[in-house]
Amino acid sequence: MTTQSEVLSQPAPAQKRRPIARWWWALAALGLAPTLIPTLTLVGAVLTGGAVASVPAVRLAELLTNTLLLAAAVTGTSVAIGLGTSWVTTRTDLPGARIFSILVTLPLVMPSYVVALTLLGAGGSRGVITELFGLVSFPTITGFWGSWLALTVFAVPFVHLGAVPAISKLDTSLDDAARGLGSSRWGAFRTVTLPLLRPTIAASSLLVALYTISDFGAVSLLRYDTFTRAIYAQFAGRIDRRPALTLAVILMAVAVAVVIAERRLRRKATYHRNRPGRTQMVQHLGPMGRLWSYTGLGVLITVSLVIPVTVLIAWVSRGLSSGQELGDVWIDAARSLGVSLAAAVAAAVVAIPIAVVIVRDRTRIAPVVETLTWTSYSLPHITVGIALVTFALEIARPFYQTTLLVVVAYLAMFLPITVGTASDALRRISPDTEDASRSLGRSALSTVFRVTVPLMAPGLLAGGALVFLTAMKELPATLLLRPNGFETLAIRIWATTGEGFYTRAGAASLVLLAVSAIPLALVTLRDLYD
Amino acid sequence: MPRKLSMLLVVTALVLSACGDSGSPADGSEEPTDASPLVVYSGRSEDLIGPLLDRFTDVTGIEVSVRYGGSTELATTLLQEGESTDADVFFAQDPASLGATAPLMTTLDDSILSLVPERFSDADGKWVGTSGRARVVIYDTGDVDDDELPESLEEIVDPRWGGRMGVAPTNGSFLAFVAAMIVEQGEEYTLDWLERLEANQPVDFPGNSPIVAAIDAGEVDLGLVNHYYLLRLQAEGSGEQTANHFPTGGDAASLVMPAGAAVLAGSDQLENAKAFVEFLLNDTTQEYFATETFEFPLVPGIEAAEDLPEIDEIDTPNINLSDLADQLERATDLVTEAGLL
Repeated sequence: MTTQSEVLSQPAPAQKRRPIARWWWALAALGLAPTLIPTLTLVGAVLTGGAVASVPAVRLAELLTNTLLLAAAVTGTSVAIGLGTSWVTTRTDLPGARIFSILVTLPLVMPSYVVALTLLGAGGSRGVITELFGLVSFPTITGFWGSWLALTVFAVPFVHLGAVPAISKLDTSLDDAARGLGSSRWGAFRTVTLPLLRPTIAASSLLVALYTISDFGAVSLLRYDTFTRAIYAQFAGRIDRRPALTLAVILMAVAVAVVIAERRLRRKATYHRNRPGRTQMVQHLGPMGRLWSYTGLGVLITVSLVIPVTVLIAWVSRGLSSGQELGDVWIDAARSLGVSLAAAVAAAVVAIPIAVVIVRDRTRIAPVVETLTWTSYSLPHITVGIALVTFALEIARPFYQTTLLVVVAYLAMFLPITVGTASDALRRISPDTEDASRSLGRSALSTVFRVTVPLMAPGLLAGGALVFLTAMKELPATLLLRPNGFETLAIRIWATTGEGFYTRAGAASLVLLAVSAIPLALVTLRDLYD
Repeated sequence: MPRKLSMLLVVTALVLSACGDSGSPADGSEEPTDASPLVVYSGRSEDLIGPLLDRFTDVTGIEVSVRYGGSTELATTLLQEGESTDADVFFAQDPASLGATAPLMTTLDDSILSLVPERFSDADGKWVGTSGRARVVIYDTGDVDDDELPESLEEIVDPRWGGRMGVAPTNGSFLAFVAAMIVEQGEEYTLDWLERLEANQPVDFPGNSPIVAAIDAGEVDLGLVNHYYLLRLQAEGSGEQTANHFPTGGDAASLVMPAGAAVLAGSDQLENAKAFVEFLLNDTTQEYFATETFEFPLVPGIEAAEDLPEIDEIDTPNINLSDLADQLERATDLVTEAGLL
């Protein structure tokens, strides 16, 4: 497949490229710093404090197997569904495609434990579905399949949002050529389009797989034992943090292994085109095509959005009729917006030099840089929070319990999201375009701002939007790092569900959904599709 | 794109500065003046405690800045911050978190300690109990008959409950209950008990609330939780077919554990901090615990919520609560060893 794609979009001899400027490296290193702080603090703490074994190796192996099985299942399903939804909403004449695109993306803003709670609240003999529709008994899905469902609900929008820019910019002339040469529609897709989408698929797969590895909220509520369960149990049951941190370092090593394995599979390939291709072609859907598309999207949106929102509304109305109060969520919403927006912008800006190094540099350090961006992302968020608390208390005391440290934590954890979408965008820009700009007299810096960054813009926006939505619902690290009294929506939801205040939890979740939907709609409508 | 980016940056800066103002009132006034707010680390959630803190400020004029979090997490944070902490008061859910941080605390005055029966406070006077929480067996009234309800640790691990019991082995309250079992009956018995519990294939939950919700939803028949979750759920309009059972066996299954408060020895406003602890023990606040959080008031003479037994009627084991902190780690070890983790 690699050779085919190279033949099909052969660029000007790529090996002859001059090395990238040193200041790219300097900027990339600077951008990487926030990610490295938790990683290094954690490894340092375990090295100096000593590794403490607390859970039998046999049990750890069992938990790790469970984790990896779930990661594989969630990744496979969500990539398949996410590619489908992004294709249908960008490349066909399906009426209402953009609205569907927003609806598909929306579930992303719900914390995974809220999705899990609503799935639990929907089923059962006294669940909301039974109450509303009088069905006999809609079963409650727990364990592996429940976790798979809840995390897939979260992951499909992730893949969708990441794939939309790539698919909408896809060069269809190659597909046409293949079809003209006698390939079937499926054959052309498999041998031409799919290889072109490989970097996108690879980036999304890693994001989803490593998120699944780090998740605790959903799997714990749905009662599927994964590795994070062991880590959280150590935090809950001990004042001594070394056993938990030891386990976190093991999990980080597993994540690094996954990243390296993924790169081995991906190998090196170039994807950009050197002549303008056709991207406008839109596939016409017949009545059957539309029917299938609407059915598929309908089922997906029912499971991922309609059921959870129905349950949330049922909680709120059930509680209000029993005299519960909603509480004041708007200040929390403003705080969530502030830190999440800051993190999204920072992650998008910082991703530019890192993507340039990863994509354009030919030295052996570039892959190392790429691997390093993943280290904090794959950690359960509570460990990133603890690492930054330790770092701030011992080295940067003035930043302890400030919003700045919260933003740094988001940047550390979510950087690979923007780096992924930015690199993907950059891979589709031929260096020849930049060389042309340089030879026409623009300076290197001017070329960056006038040529490279504008061409990367859809990728940066998509990545920034993903970071924003992920940060909006972040809980464990925010809880540890925020200033005193700084409550966010996610903290409100956690605190209220933990104590059984489902009315307020439902209200805060609905506000989270509404507040996140606005920027999401703007990005989806205005930029990704134009 | 650059213009859009810069606009985003400006908006972000504005929002950030706006929420910075409301988020950290201590900014800019680092010196310990009377104007700086009393910093409370609260292991109890804002929904339970927020209204109380507002009333405290109304009554005393003392501003409060709160950091909410899990009790264990905040205890560890306090230990990590050490002398440099900004906290003045630690208000925690359980004796284990309070015990772990006892070295950082000042000894409370007898006038405060004497308000509450001795068994609900620290033996060295480092923390005082503020409200009581009882371990109960919660059950589905449709699936469990009243006369077969377990009354003791032994009856809880009876094979008849195989696959029907919900537990939360990673939850702080469960671990404190196990720690109490270690204090009362020793490690050997505790490990054996946990192994028998595990052999019964209990259904695993991450916390008390999910167990109560699962019983309400008809998923499991009974569960080991604290008593007030059901009353909360019923206040939300659910839980009609669910009931609490208070075991009468007098062992750890009937444990009453206090939430409590302590004052940091390094506090720069000891008087205000002590005023806060006293406030938690005045009659109005104790009544708030009874009627709003459905806990047991600890100050004699204040009635518990309707439907609850009197706290003195509960046959809680006679153990020194200050010992729980020392056994928490062992409790976690034993829960792991028994295969519940």
